[in-house]
Parts: sequence; structure tokens; C-alpha cells
Amino acid sequence: MSTDVLGRTIQKVLIANRGEIAVRVQRGCRDLGLPTVAVYSEADRQALHVRYADEAVNIGAPAPRDSYLRMDKIISAAKKTGADAIHPGYGFLAENAEFAGMCEDEGIVFIGPSAHAISVMGDKESARKAVKANGVALIPGTDAGMHDDDLIAAAREIGFPVMVKAVAGGGGKGMRPVFDEAAFPEALRLARSEAVSSFGSGDVYIEKLIQGGRHIEFQILADHHGNTVHLGERECSIQRRNQKLVEESPSPFLMMTRETREKMGKMAIAAAESVDYVNAGTIECMMDKDGNYYFLEMNTRLQVEHPVTEVVTGIDLVKEQIRIARGRRMTPTESVLDPQGWAIECRINAEDPYNNFIPSTGTLTASITPKGPGVRVDSGVFTGYEITPHYDSMIAKLISYGENRQQAIVRMRRALSEFVIMGVRHNIPFHINLFNSVSFQAGRYDTRFVEERFSMTTYESEPTEEELETIAIAATLHAHKSRQKAAQVVAPAERDTSNWKWVGRYERIHR
Amino acid sequence: MKYTTIINNKQFEVEILKDGNVLVNGKPHEVDFLGLEESLYSIIQNSKSHEIAIEEERGKYELQLEGRLYEATVLDQRALLMAQRKGGLMTGSGEVASPMPGLIVEVLVNVGDEVTQGQTVVILESMKMQNELKAPRDGIVQKIACEAGQTVDKGNLLINIEGDDE
Repeated sequence: MSTDVLGRTIQKVLIANRGEIAVRVQRGCRDLGLPTVAVYSEADRQALHVRYADEAVNIGAPAPRDSYLRMDKIISAAKKTGADAIHPGYGFLAENAEFAGMCEDEGIVFIGPSAHAISVMGDKESARKAVKANGVALIPGTDAGMHDDDLIAAAREIGFPVMVKAVAGGGGKGMRPVFDEAAFPEALRLARSEAVSSFGSGDVYIEKLIQGGRHIEFQILADHHGNTVHLGERECSIQRRNQKLVEESPSPFLMMTRETREKMGKMAIAAAESVDYVNAGTIECMMDKDGNYYFLEMNTRLQVEHPVTEVVTGIDLVKEQIRIARGRRMTPTESVLDPQGWAIECRINAEDPYNNFIPSTGTLTASITPKGPGVRVDSGVFTGYEITPHYDSMIAKLISYGENRQQAIVRMRRALSEFVIMGVRHNIPFHINLFNSVSFQAGRYDTRFVEERFSMTTYESEPTEEELETIAIAATLHAHKSRQKAAQVVAPAERDTSNWKWVGRYERIHR
Repeated sequence: MKYTTIINNKQFEVEILKDGNVLVNGKPHEVDFLGLEESLYSIIQNSKSHEIAIEEERGKYELQLEGRLYEATVLDQRALLMAQRKGGLMTGSGEVASPMPGLIVEVLVNVGDEVTQGQTVVILESMKMQNELKAPRDGIVQKIACEAGQTVDKGNLLINIEGDDE
């Protein structure tokens, strides 16, 4: 490796992101004594990451393409403030090879992998090719760039059900399951049109759909000194439409023994090494009900769900990322095969679980975050904060932990009941129901669980008569108070004559 | 003051007494109701202590107790009479309004179509997601106030569904 990497210094970090992750990264920087620069769109002037930062630069209009995706503006914000490193967070420019390359060219340290690793792993075809060369197991599937007729033939050969996936997709977008041949043409058409509108390319490929499969991923850390370790797995099978809702570490799946962790971890390291990966990354795998596992993709960034790994390993991933970017040796010297305790994360989204998880916008009129033993909240919101339609609906992450899974669950239930968010609809009731469900408590779930076997009414315990009475009293007293207040405001108009006449008479008398 | 309060489709007769205590369906409750913030209250009811967040939206109230959300309608005597004249307390509105600003991707019904509760009627794109808006009740589509490709604001009426029984 080149000596300039080892001799690198970082004096000030610009965070090219917003919301909870921007705040999370700023906290890591602060722990290291590094000053931070926030960038923000016009919609985010009031946001927490702007207020928390040492310096803040306005980079344009609310729509991401006018601000958070504007590489030129972000680079010039770094130059203007003298930031010598950029942390991209997740989403936006985090997995944009061009941006990583631009930072390199401008002499700014990109806190993440090389542009080369991002581009190889960012394209599913080249990623599959790269890891396969290193002996990593893949789900049977096709190449990209095939015509519809060839895809149908290939699907028949692989055997239904299959998954249609956009080559440029990610984050659950541009993916469609197809259960029989009859449904295939329509699904293909939808997947292509969704891919065109979301990613600008309609290229898709297909893959065998693993039923009853679990989404298990491995956290990787690698430094410039040739060391690569894994920090154990995260179980992310609680999803809806391929969007993760709950993650835990370790996995409660019975097949996930220490032996499997060791084998899968080796595979994850091999996948990362296939592109000479450096910095934090995640190898996403699918595990079927018999414990066979396959490489899905590599996420070349810090994940939303990184806190559960931090809790059970005691490793601060943001600090390690910066350490690695500075060319130092990372702290962990070996992989984690025995995680300490158990951690679970709930993504708190502004989505209405009673109405098909429709995103909700508005101003938060109340926001009380849970505290106490075994609870961590990574949040970017507060009372008075406005949730706009411009950005992601995830507003906070609630993480609970304990000596074992049971304790983490009990603490999560406590924390969920303490969490108050008013002003927008949110999915806390969903999490409460999920944590009450026997299947979840027993760790018996797969990636289809939420969509196919869970409903907001099945597991919901009916509110007791006593609770309903309390609600009735509170609602009535609140309505009574506000109506009385309103009556006082209206009262003067109830004079026998108009207010103008009344004021005229009053002034005549007091002349 | 006497009120009729409906929580999750259950009706309660609530009377507020002069001393601040409350009768619920004739049963007395000792109540201490303290406002903490704009929409947050501490309530001590028969020595049980709860924190409740309350919010008003379009004449209805949303309450949150121990992480769970409830919907409440509070009617005074006059409003109760009016509601009864309009045909019962429990019949839900058939209006499908846009829950957020977004782009109408597709309208899946036509005027005159018979729909059932929970049927998807409109697909709205917002926050980079395609969202299915569902019929809030059974009935006949009376009005369609939007079309594919149109951008809508939060609260815009998109579709109205009315019962076929009247």
C-alpha cells in the first residue's frame, strides 16, 4: 500500500448526509475530538445535524438532487470550510463511486471504501463475478442485459418462484417476486418501469426466490494494513416490501450456531477481500430454512442497523471508520465469534401501520424518547420538527440490549411504551404488536413473516375497558377545555351589536 | 357538562362535574388532569397515573397512551343530535383524501363502481414509495377528483364513496 495513505491526517470532517445518521457520525467525530461540518438543504435549517455541527453550509433546495446529491456543492463546502475528510453516512452519495473518486482527486479523504470497490460491488453482475472468483456461494440466477424471452426461458430453467431484480436497484426498490409463469410478463414489465423511474435504467436479472429464507448479514471491517475481520451477524428478516423494520444481533435462528458463524464469517471475509475492500462494509446473505446460505450483495457503507453490532461487540464503528481512513490499524484484531449479550433495533418510521404503512408528514407536536438501562436512541427529530415528503420516512432508531434476547425484548417493550411521538402517524404500534407476537418472541420468522403471517389486528391485544375509560376521560376533558377557550375568544362577538359599533360608543363615552 | 365520546367505535357518556371529577356512564371517577405541554397531559384517575398525548385533527382527536394510538370523537348535546339526524354515529366517511403530498400514479376505479372496504382505489407516489390508498368503507364511487399524473397536496379529496343503501 502507498505510504501517503499511512501518513494521512484528518483534521475536520464534513458529513454529507442528514437526519439521525448525520448526528450519529458527528458524535463519533466529537468523541475523537474532530470538528464537524454539516451540509443542509433549505428544508433542513432547523434539523438537529445542523445545530449539532461546528460549522454548517447550505447546499440548496429541499429535493435531494438539488442538495444532498450535488457532489459539486458538497466538495466546495468542504473546501470552503477546510474539511479534509468526508463521511457519506448511508444513502445519498454513500455508494456513489464517482463521488468517492472525486474526493480522491480533490485530496479529500473519503471515509469509506475505494471508488473501485464501490463500483464493483454496486453493480450486481460484477459483484457476483468478483465474489464467485473467491469461492463465495451465490443464489442461482441469470446475467443482466437479457431480453424478456430469454429471461422467461431462464426462469423456467431455474424454477419458479423467482425474483426479478433491477441491476441498479437497492434498498428494496426494483425487486419483484414471481410465483408462476403466468404472472411473469406483467411482473417483468412493472420491474422494468420501476427501475427506469427510480434508477434511470430498466435492466433487470432474475434469481431463484428462496422461500422461508432469512436475511442475515455480516459486518466487515478492513484496514489498509491487510487485515479483514467480521464482527458477527445481524438478523434482518423482519421486513416489509424488502424494507428492514427490525434487526438483531446475534441471530435467533437455530441454524445460526457458533460453527455456522465461523464458516459464514469466513465467506464474508472472502467476499470483501475479492475487491481488496477497506473500511466498514456489510455482506448480505440469504439463509434457507435448512441453514444453506448464499451471498446476496455487499453494502459498501455504514448500515442503518450498525448499532446492534456496536452494542454486542463494544466496537464504535464510526470511530473505526475514521481510524481506518487515517491509515491506522483498526482496533479489533480478530473476528467476533462470541457476541456479548443481545441487541435489537426497531426502525421508527413516520408510516401509518393501520393504513398500509403510508408515509405521514407533518410537524411533531410531542416527542419523548425512551431512556433508562439497556436503551439507546439514535434520532434526528424533536418536538416542533417538520417531517417533509422530501426525505426518507425513518425518523429514529430505537435500540434495546440485555444479557440475552429475552431481556432485550422486555426492555424494548418498556421503551416502546415510553416512546411518544405526536403530529405524524408512526409505526410504534406495529412494533408493540410485533414484540407481543409469539412467533417473534420465539425467533420463528423469515423475510415473509410481516407481509404474510402478521397483521395489526391478529396480535393486538384489545384495549381493556379501563384503558378506554381513561382515554374517554382525557379526550373529553381536553375537548371541554379547548371549547371553553374557544368560547372566550368568540364571546365578545355575542354582544347585542357589532364590535365596531361597540367600540364607537365606547370611544364617544370616554372622549 | 355532558358529552358523548366515541373511542374506537365504543360510546361513552362522560359528564364533567363542577369539582372537576367525572362520571363515565354514570360511574364516578376521581380525576386530576394536568396539562404539561401543548399536546401532553398527566392524568391521575382514581390514583392511577398515566401520561397521554392528545392531538386534534379535523374535529377528531388522536390520543396516545403507552405507545398505542386511539381515535376519539367528542360530541356535546347539540353535536350529538346533529350526528344522529345525519344517520348514526358510527358510519364512517367515504372520503379518500391524500394523506400526504404526492403524485397520483393510477386511479383504479371509475365513477359508479362498487367497492368494498380495504380495496385499493388510488396509487399515490410519495417519499419515493408507491402507496396504495384503500376504500374506507363499502359503497359506490360517487366522485373522482383526481387523475393519473396529477400532483396533490395533503388533505386533497381524491375519491368519494357513498353507501348504496340510501
